[in-house]
Amino acid sequence: MNDVTQRELLQTFSRLADTLVDDYDVVDLLQVLVDSCRDLLDTTAAGILLADSQGRLELVVSTSEASRLVEMMQLSAEAGPCIESFRSGRRVSVPDIEHTHDEWLQFRGAALAQGFRSMDALPLRLRDATIGTLNLLRAAPGDAPEDDIMAAQAFADVATIGILHERSIRESEVLSQQLQAALNSRIVIEQAKGVVSHTRGVPIDEAFTLMRDYARSHNLGLSSVAARLVDRSLRL
Amino acid sequence: MAVSASFGSAIETIERAPDQPERYCEAFLSVFPITGAAVSTIGEVLGSETLAASDAQSARIDELQFDLGEGPCWDAMRSALPVLAPAIRTTGPKKWPTFAQSVIREGVSSLFAFPLTVGPVRFGAIDLYSAAPVRLSDTQTKQAGAMAEMVSRHVLRRALTSIGEDPEAGISAYSRRLIHQASGVVLAQIDVSADDARLVIQGQAFAVGKSMMDVAQEILDGRLRFTRDGSRIEVAE
Repeated sequence: MNDVTQRELLQTFSRLADTLVDDYDVVDLLQVLVDSCRDLLDTTAAGILLADSQGRLELVVSTSEASRLVEMMQLSAEAGPCIESFRSGRRVSVPDIEHTHDEWLQFRGAALAQGFRSMDALPLRLRDATIGTLNLLRAAPGDAPEDDIMAAQAFADVATIGILHERSIRESEVLSQQLQAALNSRIVIEQAKGVVSHTRGVPIDEAFTLMRDYARSHNLGLSSVAARLVDRSLRL
Repeated sequence: MAVSASFGSAIETIERAPDQPERYCEAFLSVFPITGAAVSTIGEVLGSETLAASDAQSARIDELQFDLGEGPCWDAMRSALPVLAPAIRTTGPKKWPTFAQSVIREGVSSLFAFPLTVGPVRFGAIDLYSAAPVRLSDTQTKQAGAMAEMVSRHVLRRALTSIGEDPEAGISAYSRRLIHQASGVVLAQIDVSADDARLVIQGQAFAVGKSMMDVAQEILDGRLRFTRDGSRIEVAE
């Protein structure tokens, strides 16, 4: 990491701290986090997966909505670095995806096909519990710079705080409610992508970009824009 | 207005009784000037079965139609439109020669059938009969149609559950995403809620013997489209 990105890193944390103060959109916050990983760290693509009440990991945000990337992240959550990090609560580094064991065959195939050669999965941890993972993918093989991993783990911790609110951390019931709320927002975002895809006659990925641009230019949360598209009170 | 008050409570009765078809009959009897009501599934999707009938005559009207393969419930199901026969003694024999003859002999004067449909899937009808000749106004016809739509969702949900179709079973997280996206496309195509759009996909999948995932993919690829014409929803491939 050079000096410029260090300054940018500080700016990012400052922006995140601002976000956390008041009423905020968790999905927006997490999106800023993965975009920051891509822009500031040595990372080609990033995504955050959260566990639902049955312990299944679902992708909540990623740097691209391209279906192949989304599918690959989910494969990693079935048998790959992502689920391993989630289960162990530890960072899982994969410096060479090409030479991983065969249990990860599907994940390996999907990752290599998209040009990814190395990956790190970091746990979103709260004391003993792991609520999800942050996944960083790189086009080049090899270990990630240690500074990058430190920054990424800090991002992951901010994400955890963002999801849980520090006040309610002790109550496990609230924890699962808030996790579920974040996952439900994602459902509505997917539905809204479908709505915009139809009304604007564009592919699903492009629909997401339109929604996001609208939310940003109107200073609105992505989740609330999605909810209004789905209940048809907003037309794009 | 008294009529709309009773319509409101009838809607509530249906809403609160997703698993009690006999309550649907009560709801129709409480709003419309009829003698009896019956709710039945007919045709290939869910088979032919009377789910509830308010009296023996209503049950008999449905049975006759199952056996004869003709009658207002078949027409309503096939067309996805209400079939109104306020004067079955004069109009019935032309449309349904055998069926009309039987019900006229049994003292039925008016018959109305409303289709059970979810999206493009048509799987039954509600038959209303009256011993004395009656007409349904346009408002009453619309109200009965709206009630039949609610009943349709309950009946399909219940049927899919009883068949043991767990829509989540064996579906990966990635597929769930596609199903949510396809629900969005469908709700925009035919102007329904997100929950109903999902049920439309589930019903369509069941009716054509495909997985929800496959149907969702077809919707997203534009190979399968739903269109609305009034209350009728069609599917185009």
